[in-house]
Amino acid sequence: MSAEVKQAEKARMDPKYIATLTARLFAACVVVAFLLGLVNMVTLPNITARKKAATDAALKQVVENPDGSAFSDALELSGDMTAAASGAGATLSALYAVTEGGANAGYALTVVASGSQGSIEMMVGVDEADVVTGVSIVNNSETPGIGSKVMGNEPTANGTPVLDQFVGKSPADGTLSVGGNIDAISGATVSSRGVTAGVNAALAVAALLD
Amino acid sequence: MDFKAQFKEGLITNNPVLVQLLGLCSTMAITTSFFNGLGMGIAVTIILTLSNVIISAIRNVIPDKIRIAMFIVVIAGFVTMVDLLLQAFVPALSESLGVFIPLIVVNCIILGRAESFSYKNGIAASAVDGICQGIGYTVVLLVMCVIREFLGAGTFGGGILGPGGIFEGGALGAGKGITILPEQYPMKLLTLPVGGFIVLAVLIAAMQWALGNAKKKAEEAAKAEKEAAKA
Repeated sequence: MSAEVKQAEKARMDPKYIATLTARLFAACVVVAFLLGLVNMVTLPNITARKKAATDAALKQVVENPDGSAFSDALELSGDMTAAASGAGATLSALYAVTEGGANAGYALTVVASGSQGSIEMMVGVDEADVVTGVSIVNNSETPGIGSKVMGNEPTANGTPVLDQFVGKSPADGTLSVGGNIDAISGATVSSRGVTAGVNAALAVAALLD
Repeated sequence: MDFKAQFKEGLITNNPVLVQLLGLCSTMAITTSFFNGLGMGIAVTIILTLSNVIISAIRNVIPDKIRIAMFIVVIAGFVTMVDLLLQAFVPALSESLGVFIPLIVVNCIILGRAESFSYKNGIAASAVDGICQGIGYTVVLLVMCVIREFLGAGTFGGGILGPGGIFEGGALGAGKGITILPEQYPMKLLTLPVGGFIVLAVLIAAMQWALGNAKKKAEEAAKAEKEAAKA
């Protein structure tokens, strides 16, 4: 090894030099994190309000009688419920009771399942007999043009809109599976599976509720 | 700073997708309808320009050895901020472009230009580079969208034109496109990811062939000139 290379090696391994680099990178991370926190603080109220509006709209979409139904605030989730949902491959994030003219008319559940690009947050409505009344997507980041077809409820190869085929399914149909009793949109199998896992989880939770 | 030269580079001789082969994932994944290509193209152009400016502005405080790590921190943070701000204050825009923004964080064109251009050049030149490279990217996306949509689905202008589109009272991104080929003719294969690979490969081959031809011609012209000078 020539003297020059040794010198360069020594300079690279110099603890002082390494400490400077670490400090600079750390400082950059701190500054960026601080700015992100700031932006988050400013934007959070608006984003929360928009999400709430989207939740209300989604709730109305998944019940049989949108105009006659009333929704409770989010109910408390028990350990049994979250365990039932994760057993079916998705996470339960919220639960709302649905009433029609004061009478119990089932539940609406927000579940999060994993799609092809990230998580898919969806709302599933079930009536008092645990039959699915509707599925709608609240939030997703599926690939535009592929997975987004599932999110947009586009028809599968046999013509039924992909999310509509869940309506009328109940625990009596057994575990729903893509290729079994659910059709996927071609090219978007992973996204279709994500939604199916979400509905399975919602049905598993609904079975626990009276 | 030479705007014309940079523009030619971004669009043709150093096109981000067809020559530098950057951003291929997004190019293949989203080019299934005209609106997707346009939306992604615009979003990338804006973010690339701004991130180029930021990187160029702070290039003197970035130590050479850890520049890549710094680029990633700055770009990821910046894109997330844009995403949050759009969601909060321009919900309409966020709804139509929002799906593309998370994809941009991992779009290597942004990192590629930071490394190869804005880290070594001034702010104004970097901004121009962002715009030119962004336009080059957008043009390729649109060409791919038009080819894949036409041959794969038989339509044109999906997301913008056609039934349910903005000109017929629908939302941006909801239009079905104008049907050109009747339903039984299109090759569905082209709208699937594998179709993206095929179309992109054909485009890259065509681009390389054209560039090779142009280079040969230039060499021959130079040779002829030399001989003419000798004689």
